[in-house]
Amino acid sequence: MTSVGLQECLLVGAVLFVAGILCMVTKRNAIGILMGSELVLNGANVNFVAFAYFHDLFNIEGQIFALFTIVMAAAEAAIALAIVLNFYNNHVTVDVDAAEDLKG
Amino acid sequence: MDFDYGLLYVVATLLPLTSFLILFLGGRRMGRLGAYIATAAIGLSCVCSLIGATAYFLNRPEHHGHHGTVHGHHGHGHDHNHAAHGEKQADHGHDHKADAHETHKDEHDHGPPWRGSIYWAWVGWTGDKPSMHLELGYHVDGLTVLMFVMVSFIATLIHIFSMGYMAEELQDRVEDHQAHVTRKGRYSRFFMFLSLFCFSMLNLILANNLFQVFVSWELVGICSYLLISFYYERHSASTAANKAFIVNRVGDAGFIIGLLIFWTYCGTFNFEEIFGQLRCPPADAHGKNSLAGQIVRGRFVPEHDLGERKYLAVVEFRLDVAQLERDAAFDKATLEKLRTLNGKSFARAKTFRDALETTLGQEEFEKLESRLLVAGARTISEGPVAVLFPPEPGDHPHGVGPDAEKFDDGYGDGIYLAVAPKPNQYRSMPYWLLVLGGIGIFLGCVGKSAQFPLQVWLPDAMEGPTPVSALIHAATMVAAGVYLVGRAFPLFAPDVLVIIAYVGCITAFVAATIAIVQTDIKKVLAYSTVSQLGFMMLALGVGGWAAGLFHLITHAFFKALLFLGSGSVIQGCHHEQDMTRMGGLFPKMKITAVTMLVGVLSIAGTPLFAGWYSKDAVLASALSFVTLRPQHLLLFLLPLITAGLTAFYMFRLWFLTFTGKPRDEHVFEHAHESPYVMTVPLIILAFFSVTVAWGLNPLDATGSALEHAIHHEYPAAMPDRVAEDEAKVKAEIGNDGILPALVAYQLDKNAYLNVLHLPSLHELAGGLALLAAGIGIAMAFVVYGFGLLDPAQTKAQFFSVFRFLWEKWYFDDAYDVMFVRPAHVVAGWARWFDLKVIDGIIDNLASGTVRLSWFDGRFDLGIIDGLVNLTANVVYGVGSWLRIFQTGSIRNYVLFLALAAVGIVAVLSYVVALAG
Amino acid sequence: MSFADFLFWIVALWTGLSAVMVVVTQNIVRAALWLLFTLAGTAGLFFLLGADFVGAVQLLVYVGGILILLVFGVMLTAQGPFVNLRAGAGEWAVSIVVGLLLLGLLVSAFLMTDWRFLPAQPPDPAHSRYVNDLGLALLGSRDATPPGTLPGAPGPEPAERSRVAYLLPFEIVSVHLLVVLIGAAYLARARRRRGART
Repeated sequence: MTSVGLQECLLVGAVLFVAGILCMVTKRNAIGILMGSELVLNGANVNFVAFAYFHDLFNIEGQIFALFTIVMAAAEAAIALAIVLNFYNNHVTVDVDAAEDLKG
Repeated sequence: MDFDYGLLYVVATLLPLTSFLILFLGGRRMGRLGAYIATAAIGLSCVCSLIGATAYFLNRPEHHGHHGTVHGHHGHGHDHNHAAHGEKQADHGHDHKADAHETHKDEHDHGPPWRGSIYWAWVGWTGDKPSMHLELGYHVDGLTVLMFVMVSFIATLIHIFSMGYMAEELQDRVEDHQAHVTRKGRYSRFFMFLSLFCFSMLNLILANNLFQVFVSWELVGICSYLLISFYYERHSASTAANKAFIVNRVGDAGFIIGLLIFWTYCGTFNFEEIFGQLRCPPADAHGKNSLAGQIVRGRFVPEHDLGERKYLAVVEFRLDVAQLERDAAFDKATLEKLRTLNGKSFARAKTFRDALETTLGQEEFEKLESRLLVAGARTISEGPVAVLFPPEPGDHPHGVGPDAEKFDDGYGDGIYLAVAPKPNQYRSMPYWLLVLGGIGIFLGCVGKSAQFPLQVWLPDAMEGPTPVSALIHAATMVAAGVYLVGRAFPLFAPDVLVIIAYVGCITAFVAATIAIVQTDIKKVLAYSTVSQLGFMMLALGVGGWAAGLFHLITHAFFKALLFLGSGSVIQGCHHEQDMTRMGGLFPKMKITAVTMLVGVLSIAGTPLFAGWYSKDAVLASALSFVTLRPQHLLLFLLPLITAGLTAFYMFRLWFLTFTGKPRDEHVFEHAHESPYVMTVPLIILAFFSVTVAWGLNPLDATGSALEHAIHHEYPAAMPDRVAEDEAKVKAEIGNDGILPALVAYQLDKNAYLNVLHLPSLHELAGGLALLAAGIGIAMAFVVYGFGLLDPAQTKAQFFSVFRFLWEKWYFDDAYDVMFVRPAHVVAGWARWFDLKVIDGIIDNLASGTVRLSWFDGRFDLGIIDGLVNLTANVVYGVGSWLRIFQTGSIRNYVLFLALAAVGIVAVLSYVVALAG
Repeated sequence: MSFADFLFWIVALWTGLSAVMVVVTQNIVRAALWLLFTLAGTAGLFFLLGADFVGAVQLLVYVGGILILLVFGVMLTAQGPFVNLRAGAGEWAVSIVVGLLLLGLLVSAFLMTDWRFLPAQPPDPAHSRYVNDLGLALLGSRDATPPGTLPGAPGPEPAERSRVAYLLPFEIVSVHLLVVLIGAAYLARARRRRGART
């Protein structure tokens, strides 16, 4: 086994990404879905940082974008939780399958 | 001369139109004022035309016509021609120059003839230049001047007369005894129509183009219609108006055909332009004028070519090489040389003449030149352009080259331009079409001038008020036909002229015979008019252009006099027109009787009366023609007999009316002389009926000043070079040389003109005419004057003849059988066809449509609606199916998203793999 | 295998397993715990990859912020223990298949990519950028970014890399955060008076 390279890091990012997707797909709890999205964002962040590490050209960009992503994720989490709370207030549940008011 | 007298004539023409408009707008309220306005308008026109006439005869151009020396009748044969020829020869060099200058002078000095026109319609645009125009213009030459004076003067008198004659119409309620109705008076309407009529007639005379003539022609026709049916409550009046109108339509159809033929081939309606374009067909070596040949047009240079209006006849002539070959007039070598010149054009330095001369050599050239002169060329040297036709006979000529549009042959310091024809401007016209066009135009004249076989409408037209009969149906409208024949004279091919002569001759005779037995005073005059118009046509047809128009003018005076006199009689007898109920009126209406006697004497051809001069001239023309062409003897005999008949029936009229015992006490008792407003015109007309034709020596039958004035205007379009050519041809070819028929015809005409002015011939004709008239008058005296012969007995003896004449040669019946009844039958067929076939088709179409609509409805409901519903259902179904995927669950959407990502990348990679 | 590599593998495994456990766990509180481990592992990876500051921010924001937020969310929406919010077995099966497909796609994507433009040797951690570099970049300093060529860009020659200045995005993100916070507060404010619906 050779030393750890970019591809291994990308593998980790992919696993996180897929796990996030699966989390979003399988969780009926709205907060679970929120977690899934955090996982997806983390997977992307891993990739950013990995590229930043393995090539000088991306050194700054990768990290800066990772930072932006984190900030965005924080904002997203705040909004999403607010929405979830609102939803819960209206439906007394966090089951996203109950959110079908607009279904035709 | 700074003043354009043409404008004076335009004003004179427009005055009656103004009067018409005023009366039209004024309506019934105008009353007597309307009559004053109309009379003033036409009176002013008359004054204008008199001023114009004075100006014209003071400034008359002397270069017009070749009979400038016609005043002297001696030595008018070849001598004169030789002299003229010599003159021409003498200044041959600046001949053209002179021509050009004269044209120039015409243009700027406003010397007569006065011309002017505006274009109001353009056709045939090529680029920004229209190739053809419709004009509105005036052309005032001697003929116009004289006609103008005649028409406006007589019309003025008739207006004045009408003020008295139509006075009844001034009342608010007028009782029409014939139609048994009471109606409102139509005084101003009558004068309105008269004004419109005068305008139309003057415009007709003034027009410088055929189209304007045609428009006026139709206006005159409609005025005639309106005035004949003035008493339209009377069935006979409205019927007569319809008859006049319909019969005139027949003639006008011919007129239109003629118009279109000349328009098609000449591209213009302008008289002068048309005349200049019509050229004589060349003749073959045997002196035959092959009728199948072509009329080759000479060409006028239109305005836009020269920058100013200047009509120069450019002489081109065709030299048909193939024809020359057939004639064997030249040897083969010459012909070959000619062929080398075929279609060439020559630079200005080298004229065609030079080229021809060098090519052919002196001797051959002179031979050729003489031949060309015969063929109608002026001289070879005139044009740098001559067209040698392609050898193929029948092949249309082409121009002389694309660069040959303008030539300056160096003669006229740039003024004289010979313009070579462009290929499409050099056209030819089949001779038969020229004949057809001439016949067409003449047919129009036949209709308007009531010539055989369309004479039937004029006697019926007497249903109109008597002044109308006088104005329209004696003096002016019917003169329009004769006038047009005279005006368009150069358009008539020799064959057409013969037709014209025969038509006039037959008309004169037929109408005169009918007039003998008529008892209605106005109908006698009507037939007399027809007969006299026949005389005029005859004169024109035999080439007596001046004689025909001369008679037209004198006749206008005495016929107006006679009609107004009859109007006075009728008025005096309370609208009694039947001569069998008159008689012995002389003591009661002396002025009328005497003036009418003057008219009768004049029309009968009594010496010193106007009719004498003109009738003699007509008969002399006919005699000249017959002298030259004995096969047309009838053209002299019938008019001679007619002259006798005329004298007879006119005196019969006078005797029946004014002498003898009163045949109807009632009529006699009420008879009275007319007021001065009516008798004064009679006296004036009577005066002119005597003196209008007088010359310096009234005893000289050929010395009429009026005739000379007219003769002076003999249309120059029949080339005046004929006179000089005659001598030249004779001199150069000799009598045994080839003499083409056209030249022969023209020489013939010339000879006729010479013969016409042979005093002996004129005296012979005059003597015979006088004899015939004398016999006629004597007969009238015998029968009606002295009562030696009882008319009733004669009638009984020759009852079948009487019957035949009484029934007007059965013309009306013949037309009834030939046209009216077949028309009714055809109309019946048409009605049946309309009812059964057309209506049937329409009904079937309707029911078929209903049936079709039913099917259409089914189709609409079943298939169209079905399709629409099917579409909707399919869309609905697809939507329902797609609804399954729209679960509304976020989780599912994420799943789809992932799946879609996988799917898209998979498809893309597959595609890339395929492509790579 | 160096110590760093070893450490990487340990952290990577840890992170991946934790992520899988987030998916698998049905209890939302436990899932939150596994998520905590995952995020922490990710932070470890950041440290290993020389991104110290990012890793620190990851720990602070995620572990210290977002996760707490989530836990609060769980607590606020708890409806009594063990409410069954499990997905069906069919859903699970489909999800796993799709997930594996997606994983395969991603893995194959980076396996098939030609990475030769990368430096042959892993970079020296000593060259890593430090916080002040990041700060300069965010402030738009020119010196923060060295010139270089961008590999893999289309064209005959690698394009000249533009200088980096993130001041404006930085400001935008700041405002964005403020807006989000206000929005979240607005959305989440209590509105009980309409009564709950089921």
